[in-house]
Amino acid sequence: MTYLTVSDVTLSFGGLKALSNVNLKIQPNLITSIIGPNGAGKTSLLNCVSGFYHPSSGEIHFGGQRLTHASPHQVSKMGIARAFQNLELFRGLSVLDNLLLARHKDLKYNFFQAVIYAGKASRVEAENRQYVEEVIDFMELEPYRKRLVGNLSYGVQKRVEVARALTLSPKVLLLDEPMAGMNIEEKEDIVRFIMDIQNERNITVVLVEHDLGVVMDISNQIYVLDFGELIGSGTPEEVASNPKVIEAYIGEE
Amino acid sequence: MSANRWLATGNYFATYKEEQRIFFTHTDRLIFSFFLVCVFVWPLVFETNNKYMLVVDNILIAMIAVLGLNMVTGFAGLISIGHAAFVGVGAYAVASVSRVMGNDYIFLTHAWPLMILLSGFIGAVFGAMVGLPAFRLKHLYLAIATLSFQMIFQWAINFMEFFNQGQTIYVGRAFWFTGEVGRNEHYIFWYYVILVILVLMGFMVRNILRTRFGRCLIAVRDNDRAADAMGMHPGLTKVYAFGLAGFFAGVAGALHAYLYRGVGVESFTLHHSITYLAMAIVGGLGTLNGSFWGPMAIKILELQVEKIAEHAGEIFPASTNLATALRPLSFGLVIVLFLMFEPRGIANWWRITRSYFKLWPFRY
Repeated sequence: MTYLTVSDVTLSFGGLKALSNVNLKIQPNLITSIIGPNGAGKTSLLNCVSGFYHPSSGEIHFGGQRLTHASPHQVSKMGIARAFQNLELFRGLSVLDNLLLARHKDLKYNFFQAVIYAGKASRVEAENRQYVEEVIDFMELEPYRKRLVGNLSYGVQKRVEVARALTLSPKVLLLDEPMAGMNIEEKEDIVRFIMDIQNERNITVVLVEHDLGVVMDISNQIYVLDFGELIGSGTPEEVASNPKVIEAYIGEE
Repeated sequence: MSANRWLATGNYFATYKEEQRIFFTHTDRLIFSFFLVCVFVWPLVFETNNKYMLVVDNILIAMIAVLGLNMVTGFAGLISIGHAAFVGVGAYAVASVSRVMGNDYIFLTHAWPLMILLSGFIGAVFGAMVGLPAFRLKHLYLAIATLSFQMIFQWAINFMEFFNQGQTIYVGRAFWFTGEVGRNEHYIFWYYVILVILVLMGFMVRNILRTRFGRCLIAVRDNDRAADAMGMHPGLTKVYAFGLAGFFAGVAGALHAYLYRGVGVESFTLHHSITYLAMAIVGGLGTLNGSFWGPMAIKILELQVEKIAEHAGEIFPASTNLATALRPLSFGLVIVLFLMFEPRGIANWWRITRSYFKLWPFRY
């Protein structure tokens, strides 16, 4: 069964083709990685799925729903969460508030209940605070709960970014280079979190990452992009022995 | 062990409901209640005159307007240079009723609370309409769109016969349970009305800010791409922010109309829009208590400068021009100084003072 399908997606900016006829079939509850050299179109592909870009042609479907022309807030309501590559956190707010913001769509009370606050709004807020606390616990962010996000270290901010996407209670989590610019220890932490997200929370993970060692270790399925074209796919072993992939990464002999 | 709710020394919350409290200790609550009682009682204790009550009423109305401006400019980060026009929309909603039905129409004089509420909603509709460009525009371009509404408003009022071409449109005296509110009680009566509305609106803002309807404003301000990915419609959120600001402004406008018993366009000019913006900046953008400090500071400054100008005029009769220039000069100077040295406004001083007293006798 395929879950998230990207079929024949082409994305062009004027004469430049960022993606051409890309096909992806992402299976539920697995870790799927998208790799490729710089400028291969990995982030563009994620942007297409999460609604920031709309493909020039081709279709994207998610569990029977068509999200080719959906905008980001609609996509996130369908259950696809996205963690950004260049931290897009709300810098002036605490970690807690950042995560509470991600509960926006799940806070079911109307404006007048919010103004009165006592009663429904208060109850729903408390329930969601509980949910956020579970995510904080899961991502081990307890020491930073009340700290301003802008003042945290880069590694922790990356973790908050993943935590915030997780707070959306998604079915699919798109992670855009969650390990970029981290040291070995922090990378190991994030890898552990990604595996926990998949195992314990049964969330489908789509990972865009440069660190091939990590990708080969944890992925169930790998897609390789180069210059906007899909040049290989399959299990890590298949991809590692694919001559086209080797050529793209290492060059011709 | 149940925590000491009078002098808590730390965070002893056991449930998330406790964490939602506005006042963490009974002492905080007591101090605030005492302050409220003082604010309600002082006109009965001290001798007041109409001149000073008018100034106080004006400050309170400005506070309501700035509460709204702070929602849109402080929390949602959208500069609005047309706030006086929204206040004007509220005032002219009252004036329109007076114009069509006569200034002693019973809805105007007896059902004034409804009229004030109605003006608020009309303000909200206009606010949302002016906010529509937020779907496409950002930053300064959006600010110019709000400026254009200010201009359209002034021109429309000035050229329409229906609005008496900007000349004063009279509004009848309001009625209370004891009958018509006379000349002597007028300012004190409206003081209480405005105060009650201000307190209600203050709590309204406080509640909005601790729910998703307030958090989404901050999200849009800090990062609207991420806000979009978090399931908020950035455009709609901005329109909502303008609508909210319009509501507060509309209420303030209606109160202004009743307080002055008349509406003229000269109270809702571009100059007033800038003044509201200055109040928000001096008070502290993006803070709740800043909306109270700002109007107070600016209005008191204006009064003092006027006094000095009067004195200067007496001593140097030849330099009256200089004296009249003193007001805009000092006004501009204060804004520049605040932007340079305390961009977070008076609210920041309040925060520092509070934490000093909380920690005393320790330094940190």
